[in-house]
Amino acid sequence: MNHISMPERREGPGTPMPKAPSPSDEGGGPRKPETGSPDKDNLLKRMRKVDPKQAERYRQRTGQ
Amino acid sequence: MLNRIFGLETEYGLLVNQERPDHSPTWFAHQIRDHLFHVQRRGILDLHHRGHDEPPGNGGFLTNAGRMYLDMGHLEWASPECESLSDVVAADRAGDQLLQEAVQDLGLADTVSLIKNNVDHETDATFGSHENYLVSRRFPFTRRGLGPLVTFLVTRQIFTGAGRIGTAGPQDGWVQMDRLLVPRAMSHRYGQEALLPFQISQRADYIVNDFFEWVQQNRAIVNTRDEPLADPNQYRRIHLLLGDSNMAEVATGLKLGTTGLVLQLIEEGYAPLDLDLNEPVETMQDLSQDQSRQWIVQLESGKTISAIDIQEAFLAAATEHYRGQDDETDWVLDQWEAVLRDLRGDYQTLVGRVDWASKLWLLETFREAEQMTWADPSLKSLDLEYHNLHQSKGLYYGLMEEGRVPRLITDKAITLAMDHPPRNTRAFGRGELVRHLLACGPHEASDDPKPEERFSPSYVINWSIFQLRGHAPFPMPDPFKTYVQEVRTHLRAV
Repeated sequence: MNHISMPERREGPGTPMPKAPSPSDEGGGPRKPETGSPDKDNLLKRMRKVDPKQAERYRQRTGQ
Repeated sequence: MLNRIFGLETEYGLLVNQERPDHSPTWFAHQIRDHLFHVQRRGILDLHHRGHDEPPGNGGFLTNAGRMYLDMGHLEWASPECESLSDVVAADRAGDQLLQEAVQDLGLADTVSLIKNNVDHETDATFGSHENYLVSRRFPFTRRGLGPLVTFLVTRQIFTGAGRIGTAGPQDGWVQMDRLLVPRAMSHRYGQEALLPFQISQRADYIVNDFFEWVQQNRAIVNTRDEPLADPNQYRRIHLLLGDSNMAEVATGLKLGTTGLVLQLIEEGYAPLDLDLNEPVETMQDLSQDQSRQWIVQLESGKTISAIDIQEAFLAAATEHYRGQDDETDWVLDQWEAVLRDLRGDYQTLVGRVDWASKLWLLETFREAEQMTWADPSLKSLDLEYHNLHQSKGLYYGLMEEGRVPRLITDKAITLAMDHPPRNTRAFGRGELVRHLLACGPHEASDDPKPEERFSPSYVINWSIFQLRGHAPFPMPDPFKTYVQEVRTHLRAV
């Protein structure tokens, strides 16, 4: 799990937060997805479980 | 961040998963709310009429000092007042988790899904994610003063948008001329481009004005309703309803943090000048729908410039004046710079930080694997599933499980925020009050009111004041004060 952590609650001076990651940094932001990588397979598996007609049933009222 | 109170209001969608014609999403919303208050005892329901559509029992404040209620049939979560970005991100996620836990507690996890999005693709309904920023009453709340804010807000969607399949139909828009409301000329685009594969913002199609005070129609880039929920002589609340509900913590933190810094630039006279947009409402839709993602806009001066360049001008001004002001400011400046740099390259590098990029990557991956066109209606269902708060089903959580989502806060911070308010704002005092009333048990039968007070509720709680029956009102006009000692003293006397 990547963390770009912030202090949980600051009521006084805190420790500096880490620099923003660049995509190439080790442990930084997400890497460019690779075709056929295991994570892609897991995500595809999750997407295939979605009911393809659920958007038709959503039927929300307009709010604000 | 320095001298800023933040708040978020989120309206949730409810998807009924099984064919249950006897139960509407609103029926389930009532069950979930009742479970939170009556079974889990997370807070206390209002006993008074808050408004024409908020009767007693419609919702109430929780022990964390935020508000859970029903609005237009939607469950809505309003965070407590937060003085730091980490607190407001934690409060936002706490609202999600409170509702999802209630659904699971009720045994409804396979029956309904909580969807934290802003559109219904089939009916064109929209519902909001509202941002609140406390500013000084001296803030230049005029068309001219707000010009830089409008430019910033219209262009920030390149990293705050949650993305969606398709477009909404034409929306009614109105402008005020003298004392009359007259139809606004509609966007030039409607009718020309009926089917759009994907756009980066959920709300852009529904924003039809630059400034207006309504929230359910004629939505504007800047909502002008003057309701500070604080001392009106000292404060104004900037209330924004143009943004999307974000799943990514980085996107939520950046949305609030960059907007907070731009408000500071305007307050202190450092905002970049000469960047007023030509036709900001149309520009907002054009940017969202730009399939090339070049995001070129036209300024009032006639000059053209990219939205990234505009954002970089605001970033440069904020960096010059506010670098080093506090840790969160530096975090925002670093993240802002990184995201703008990455927006110039392959969008896939933004997966996990920018919601539209995460969603687009997921949809493209699925389309490629399944050999689908953008016209396939099942993609709308995947679009919804990105926002599903069920952690073993939602696609955002799938990305998180795969380690592709940078976190801003810990799970422990979210759990803490479900029950506890920030301890450095007015929310702290309100949280004490709610805990006290919860501990008191049933409210109506426990005391013996005087005859003239018999029809008064035993308590009334609003954001900036509360009153217990038989006692003087307790005003809390300064959101930066905790009032906690004063509240405790007041409650001891009850």
